[in-house]
Amino acid sequence: MRESDEHLNVLRTLVEGAERGEPMVVATIVRTRGSTPRKEGARMVVGADGRVRAGTVGGGCGEGEVLEAAARTLSDGQSRTVRVDLTEDLLTLSPAVCGGIMEIRVERA
Amino acid sequence: MVTTGLSVVEAARETLAARERGATVVVALVLDGPCAGARRLRIRERSGEGGPRNHSVGALGHPHLEGLVDGLLHDALDGEPLSARSSEAGTRTVVLPGTTTEVPVYLERTRPPSGLLIVGAGHIAEPLHLQGALLGFRVTVADDRPDFADPARFPRAHRVVRIDFTDPFDQIERADRSHVILVTRGHRYDYECLRRLVVEDPLPEYIGMIGSRRRVRATFHQLLEEGVPRAALERIRAPVGLDLGAETPGEIAVAVAAEWVAIARGGSGRPMVEVERVAERFFPDEADDARK
Repeated sequence: MRESDEHLNVLRTLVEGAERGEPMVVATIVRTRGSTPRKEGARMVVGADGRVRAGTVGGGCGEGEVLEAAARTLSDGQSRTVRVDLTEDLLTLSPAVCGGIMEIRVERA
Repeated sequence: MVTTGLSVVEAARETLAARERGATVVVALVLDGPCAGARRLRIRERSGEGGPRNHSVGALGHPHLEGLVDGLLHDALDGEPLSARSSEAGTRTVVLPGTTTEVPVYLERTRPPSGLLIVGAGHIAEPLHLQGALLGFRVTVADDRPDFADPARFPRAHRVVRIDFTDPFDQIERADRSHVILVTRGHRYDYECLRRLVVEDPLPEYIGMIGSRRRVRATFHQLLEEGVPRAALERIRAPVGLDLGAETPGEIAVAVAAEWVAIARGGSGRPMVEVERVAERFFPDEADDARK
């Protein structure tokens, strides 16, 4: 129960990607405040083609920013922390009306 | 600074291997300061395995920070919630001795799978074993009928076992039955299982039994007559599942699994729309108008 299929799927995807020699990026929610779609520990693996291979850090809410950071990390190899603020969009028509802040660590795998 | 510690892939590999042998793992990732980006992990092996019970992997190359990180890893292995919102992951801050440098360290715990034993391999067991696997259980399905205890019917099960109800659990390790659900074909089979389960020490974390009010009552009655104390009966969840009005095996499996999630996460099982009452709380005027 405590270990979801998703968490294991992410770990397996990372190991299998390394065995194939594919450069990938993993994004992990390391801190949250307020109402965010996912909590600490949620992760997403992005493949060399920029597409999501496993997991999610929240779907529409902030995932676009994370994918942009993942593309930068894929090309420069540098880890970075992305702060996704979902509070400022509350009164706009943006789909990201989740209402919290999350810090996401983006690393090359 | 040269990056030290384990890479994310090495940590993933160690974690998967440790989980497979029943160990608990906590991974620490230094987010900032010296050693930013470095990972160190600590593994607690399942008791009874040979060798040291706890060990760490991934030197940080900074003795002070490593000592502080080991303190965090040690505490995290004891099972404390790692953040306010997520029990299994969160960020802590340590302060390097003699400085005011705060170093944030992300911690993530991976526990071995809990064992779920489904007794009775009938039509409910099929969708129920899928739900169990989806939630991350290591699922064992058991039945005395060879046609039913057929691995082909339970593709996501860790094991499908043919048992004898005169001693139903003799082939099933304790770790594989920390959660037990009875979906047998008759009340005498439930009874044979329950009379053994309620006297185990420690008790399984969860004992559930499906059944009508009448069937549950008949089983409890029989157990009381046999001298099983009332307190032990209260540890049995029966009937199981949330009240969804479920009828088909698939629906029943969803109702049962939904209750497992509610128990594990402390959820109320109530509809979110009633828990949050967004319309009522944030648009009171409109809600009043609607009632008129």
